[in-house]
Amino acid sequence: MKKTKAIILSVGILAGITLIAADHLDAPAVAGTTADITDFFAFEGANADNTVFVASVQSSLAPAGNDATFNENVLVEINIDNDGDLIEDLVIQAIPRDGRMYFFGPYAPGATGLNSTIDDDTELTGSVEITTDGTAITAAANGIQYFAGPREDPFFFDFTTFNGVIGGTDAAGPNGGFQLPGEATDTFDGTNVLSIVVEVPNSLLGGTFAHPAGTGTQVFNTWVEAKTKQ
Amino acid sequence: MKITYIKYPLILAIAAVTALSCDNDDDNTILGGDDPAPVVLDFSGTFAQQDQMGRPGINTVLSGSSAIKNNFNVTIPSEQTAIFQPQFLDRAVALHDAFGVSYETNILGLDATTLTTILATDVLQVAPNAPTTYFDGANVLTGRTLTDDVIDVSLILLFGGMDGNKYNGQDLDGDGMADLPILVTDNVDASGETPSSTFPYLETPQ
Repeated sequence: MKKTKAIILSVGILAGITLIAADHLDAPAVAGTTADITDFFAFEGANADNTVFVASVQSSLAPAGNDATFNENVLVEINIDNDGDLIEDLVIQAIPRDGRMYFFGPYAPGATGLNSTIDDDTELTGSVEITTDGTAITAAANGIQYFAGPREDPFFFDFTTFNGVIGGTDAAGPNGGFQLPGEATDTFDGTNVLSIVVEVPNSLLGGTFAHPAGTGTQVFNTWVEAKTKQ
Repeated sequence: MKITYIKYPLILAIAAVTALSCDNDDDNTILGGDDPAPVVLDFSGTFAQQDQMGRPGINTVLSGSSAIKNNFNVTIPSEQTAIFQPQFLDRAVALHDAFGVSYETNILGLDATTLTTILATDVLQVAPNAPTTYFDGANVLTGRTLTDDVIDVSLILLFGGMDGNKYNGQDLDGDGMADLPILVTDNVDASGETPSSTFPYLETPQ
């Protein structure tokens, strides 16, 4: 059964499936760099009138990798679509300079798509000293809160077993599936990521539309991009 | 200068590639902030996309090769489904074939084609005026909190079938031994994560 599964997998699915989620190592072209987005969260803030965005870059950094730093040539851009056409209506841009992370927006970009520029003439909304150790340095300006620096990876997943499930190896649990409760391990426990966190008043985030899944909930679309200077 | 940037991004991109970078003094900005002394910083240039993400794990799980992953990362969301849905569907079918099982319309009533059509557009919906959660039993895809078990949600949607529990280590013949694999949970939950209730929410690094 195991052998059959392995053969089917090797034929049916291309080799080299060393998958790490959520988006950990999803980008072979930029893997291991600060242009590799690791994870993205968006949730209601402690103040219910705010939304928190978390964008992490670099794949899981062991504690020994804590000296990893943001790259001044990498722009992290949070995109917001207010009408459901999957085109960004607003962007929040973050880019480091000399130990500080600078934030622009939310603002309507001059152009949408794969290439971005920064409207530093009018759209700078705040900045924060980049945290380098366990004590989080935060800042607030224009109603927005800012953080940038290493944090413990909030992602949790038995990635070792997952690879066994996908690869048909003995790393899988019973019958080739995941492990029984108590046998599973969080592969990302005790590893770090470089995170950018912004908490933004909903009043700055534009309009909403009916959820595309038909639930009737009013939503906006969001996604994050890492872009390098050309 | 700014207007030129906005009106002619392609020309700028070509120019930037040729010149590598534009160190134009006109683009420098004097910034004060809470710095003790104003500093002059340069934010000029064009930034080209390398990576993109909305929902967790979509590209990693449903793209079957490095080439597909890289292409997906440089495709804008409005074009993703048309290009990648067929490949994601193939991948979802292959994942089921590997276990000798077949996809069953899932707990949200989505067949494989509909599910992959939705997932291929890699954006996250966020409800500013409703509970934000990836899935909490009542609300679906209205955000993603730090403790949402997004892996289990994804596995349930992919392998859970109509009741969300189709492959969960069931003992079919009553011999006390599991006959089906566990595919709807990795059995790791958020209990090991203790995010703060205040900004910046994420835990202190190790």
